[in-house]
Amino acid sequence: MTRNHRAPFPFTRLSLLEAVRQPELGEAAFATLVEAYWGPVYSYLRLRWRVTPEETEDLVQSFFARVLEKRVFAAYNPEKARFRTFLRLCLDRFVINERTAAMRHKRRGALSAEPQGQSHEVEDSALEPDPEECFHREWLRALFAEAIERLQALCVEEPRRVRFKLFERYDLLSGESVNRLSYADLAAEFGLPVTQVTNHLAWARRELRRLVLEVLRERTVSEREFRDEARRALGMDLP
Amino acid sequence: MTKMLLGTILGGVLGILDGLSAIVSAPETVPQIIGIVIGSTIKGLIAGVLIGYFARRVNSLPLGIVLGLAVGFVLALLVCLMQRFGGEHVYWWQVMLPGSLVGLIVGYATQRYGLISHGRQKGL
Amino acid sequence: MSERRGAVPALSDPVLDRLRGALAAPELPERYVLGQPLGRGGMATVWRAHDLLLDREVAFKVLDLPEGEDDLAERLLREARVLAQLEHPGIVPVHDVGTLSAGRVFYAMKLVQGRRLDDVVRDGASLPERLRLFLRACEPVAFAHARGVLHRDLKPENVMTGPFGEVLVLDWGLAKKLDDREPAKAVCGSGTDITGHTGHEMRLGTPAYMPPEQREAGIVDERSDVYALGGVLHYLLHGAAPGECSVHLAKPVARRLASIVNRARALKPEARYATVSALAADVERFLAGSPVLAHPESLAERGLRLLSRHKVVVVLLLVYVLVRLALLLIAGR
Repeated sequence: MTRNHRAPFPFTRLSLLEAVRQPELGEAAFATLVEAYWGPVYSYLRLRWRVTPEETEDLVQSFFARVLEKRVFAAYNPEKARFRTFLRLCLDRFVINERTAAMRHKRRGALSAEPQGQSHEVEDSALEPDPEECFHREWLRALFAEAIERLQALCVEEPRRVRFKLFERYDLLSGESVNRLSYADLAAEFGLPVTQVTNHLAWARRELRRLVLEVLRERTVSEREFRDEARRALGMDLP
Repeated sequence: MTKMLLGTILGGVLGILDGLSAIVSAPETVPQIIGIVIGSTIKGLIAGVLIGYFARRVNSLPLGIVLGLAVGFVLALLVCLMQRFGGEHVYWWQVMLPGSLVGLIVGYATQRYGLISHGRQKGL
Repeated sequence: MSERRGAVPALSDPVLDRLRGALAAPELPERYVLGQPLGRGGMATVWRAHDLLLDREVAFKVLDLPEGEDDLAERLLREARVLAQLEHPGIVPVHDVGTLSAGRVFYAMKLVQGRRLDDVVRDGASLPERLRLFLRACEPVAFAHARGVLHRDLKPENVMTGPFGEVLVLDWGLAKKLDDREPAKAVCGSGTDITGHTGHEMRLGTPAYMPPEQREAGIVDERSDVYALGGVLHYLLHGAAPGECSVHLAKPVARRLASIVNRARALKPEARYATVSALAADVERFLAGSPVLAHPESLAERGLRLLSRHKVVVVLLLVYVLVRLALLLIAGR
């Protein structure tokens, strides 16, 4: 199977996981699910299992193919765990099985049994000590990335276009900078009054929040899970 | 019960007990026991009134105790001096020590208990 | 690390966290300047804010998520209404209520600055001081009962003492009208999930302080709050919630006081104090050295209590008697 970068999600009220189980919606829903979790799975394999970039793509594809073949999602029980925890555990088991099989067939590769500490593009500072936290982090990143893409899609024409530009400039591009831009700097750069800059940024954040929740609702299976994930995603667990 | 009434009653009762104790501590004074008891009671009542009045005016436990002790001591001293000037045998310890203690007890009790006046809360 | 998607830049960890923080913050009306979050519960966060118009600090309780099909928004509004109708020095006044531009329901209230009751105990307050604070905490609860409202989540963390000795009972999020005789639904209290089922039915209250009838979703009344206050009193005496290992406080608990706690926390409502005022009155009697209703005294106990209450006078009289006896002995020689 291949990765579909822009699979549209046609479902509104039905969550992805419910749709996957329905014959008429299953394939499209599965593609969307893969799209949603490709990034976190990829990053997790790189960070947690120290897989080389070349083999990670293959491994991700194999994993989702196996999931589809074995109808793994049908076994998911929302009462027992969150879906992403379930997915991560499946992924861990998959990797362990693959490595065991590789060793059994005496194939050496980048998939070694123990982390080798080889130098990849992975920054040690990016490593999470807790696998669950690591996966959740990547999952959040993918969630926000999807929401930002949808926001961008909403802001194709003026006056929303300038709102997205402001948001991108202030919140995305200068977010890490020690000398962050001020609203006055932005106003000067875009030739706008400061009050308008404030209003535009407020609009963009409000929309982003709405879109994050919209994407989240698609990716959770129960109201409780949605609420728990929403509170974490929206920074309610931040100090 | 007001502080003055409490002081008066307590002083009077302790004065009576004080007087009656002479029967045992100084048996030779038994013939004059009624006079002794009356005198002791009056001393106790006076001490109680004075100390109770002070407690009504001043709300201070340490001061109340000190004043009680002083009043008891002074009144006991007066009794001893009366005995001496009357040519009688003076029972210094038997009069001064319990007398001062009675004053101390009344001083404490009037500060700790009793109302300042009807309808007002007690000082402590 | 992340993949680059379209023209959207990759989201690094700092950017991601900042975005999350920015989305967590509520967008308040223009007259307010948002401050730091003060506390997080199961459904809402309390934020500090500055009212520019009145130049004062206030607190905003804001739902974390926008209004949806669930009843959380209605619960928050109900909490605000309850607080607004209970005007008492021991209950936080509500200033405003509404919905923010992101669809998040809020209410603004007085900012309470002080120490929670559990902090007071940890700081080593004396027993009389703790009991006096307890009595002050009973007042707003009794007031609420008189207005037909139950609190249903009383615990040390929900009682705050101010810098001038004022005591406030907080977090009326689970308050219920007394005339609403439907069985108590079990729901989350103050972020303490016991079990979660759907968004409409979760368990109510804090387990250590929750009476049996509330746990079993039966009918609750004033005696349910009496039970919870008994738990608070237990905490004040032992430094730990009922059922937890107690922290050693200075002195063992007096039997009369333990009897008061036991009566307040009786399993059957009919065995408890009928009202919060009755519970408070018994604690007052204990403080005054008088007999308490919860503990029928034997003659010996009564005598000991009177001796203890008037120990100075007793000692003085004993000294007087000893002095008299000593003088008698000396005279006898």
